[in-house]
Amino acid sequence: MSTEAGGVDLVGDEVARNLARAAVFAALTGAFAYVSFPNPLSPAPITLQVLGVFLAGILLGPAWGAVSMALYLLAGAIGVPVFAGGSAGFGALVGSTAGYLWSYPIAAALIGALVHGGVSLRDAGEASSVRLIGAMVAGVVVIYGLGVLGITIVNDVGLVAAFVAGAAAFIPAEALKIVAAVGIVRSERLSAA
Amino acid sequence: MTLAYEPGETVVHRLDPRSKLVVQIAFAVAAFVHTSPRGLAVLTVLGLSLLAATRTSVGRTLWELRFVLVLVSAPAFVEGLTWGAPWFSIAQARGPALASYRVLLILLVSAAYVVSTPVRDSEAAIRWAVPGKVGRLASTGVALVVRFLPVLQADLAAIRRAMAARLGTERPVIDRIRIVAIGGLERAFLRADRLALAMNARCFAWNPTLPELQCSWLDLPALALAAGLLFWAVL
Repeated sequence: MSTEAGGVDLVGDEVARNLARAAVFAALTGAFAYVSFPNPLSPAPITLQVLGVFLAGILLGPAWGAVSMALYLLAGAIGVPVFAGGSAGFGALVGSTAGYLWSYPIAAALIGALVHGGVSLRDAGEASSVRLIGAMVAGVVVIYGLGVLGITIVNDVGLVAAFVAGAAAFIPAEALKIVAAVGIVRSERLSAA
Repeated sequence: MTLAYEPGETVVHRLDPRSKLVVQIAFAVAAFVHTSPRGLAVLTVLGLSLLAATRTSVGRTLWELRFVLVLVSAPAFVEGLTWGAPWFSIAQARGPALASYRVLLILLVSAAYVVSTPVRDSEAAIRWAVPGKVGRLASTGVALVVRFLPVLQADLAAIRRAMAARLGTERPVIDRIRIVAIGGLERAFLRADRLALAMNARCFAWNPTLPELQCSWLDLPALALAAGLLFWAVL
């Protein structure tokens, strides 16, 4: 048994707090994958994963929102069951879902940057609805754009087949999540957090 | 039951996580380069052997992956559809079908990693692969995600039960999403801030002591396999 004698380099309060929040958001996005609602607009059930991406960007901001989604991908890659349908593993990051998964950190960063108007954080509850909705629509475009692109590359199909098979059934539900997200951000129960 | 680590004494369980990660990456590279019937036949034998070496049943693994497999196989099916008779062209679907099959093989091999590797080994591998403070944040962050996930799942389930008991299931779907998410977020933030305080109180440091990773002679065949696959891929 050997012991190491060295100084302890403490992590600052601010970083520890943000790291804990980023990790909790990554876990929440994973837990959202298990929550499904019947979809009034399409046969595919609604899962809330993408809502986790929206909220990470809006509530944690561009930097820590992206960190949170990167942690989500890393946790999934090493076997924590956080991906869609409770799946996990490195394979998901290079498989048919690759485009969607890799888009999450980018989308969270974009949504955060648009809502907060830059890297420094403001109170997201005070952002106008137009700004919030616009940011989330931009996020949806990034997520589905990269998602469909991923399917065309990985599954060797055309854009139309990739869109029909991998995106069309899910897009209507994003509108519901965007509306729900605006209500969530404006909720008084969260303003204290 | 989802695919998760299962303790065991197999050869694959005893391998260094880094060798297993390299094998997975090499397997994926080989599968993308050799997406031909012959290449995939070789990789099928190899992939199934790797999964069998962890004593995991293929049937169960496929069942656990069933939702993902819909997305894996649907694009090939749609690509094969044609306007007018014969409605489905096997020639058009052939390439995409091979591509879908390679994804299935990659998923099986990564399932072999997932069932044979405890998360703390993977954490140590991350810490080894990503140096400095970024690596520290990544490995700690992942460790926290692992521990938060079951707690938050229980939170969300409790909120949904409470909502169902109050006939909340009759509400419009947007309201239900909002209620579940707000409840989940409220508890998640509370947990995160309590945890941050607790971590600071316990000297959360940039330089902690982690289990030492050690390659053994067992890892040589795994590394040779990875090197062989990569060599085959660039041939």
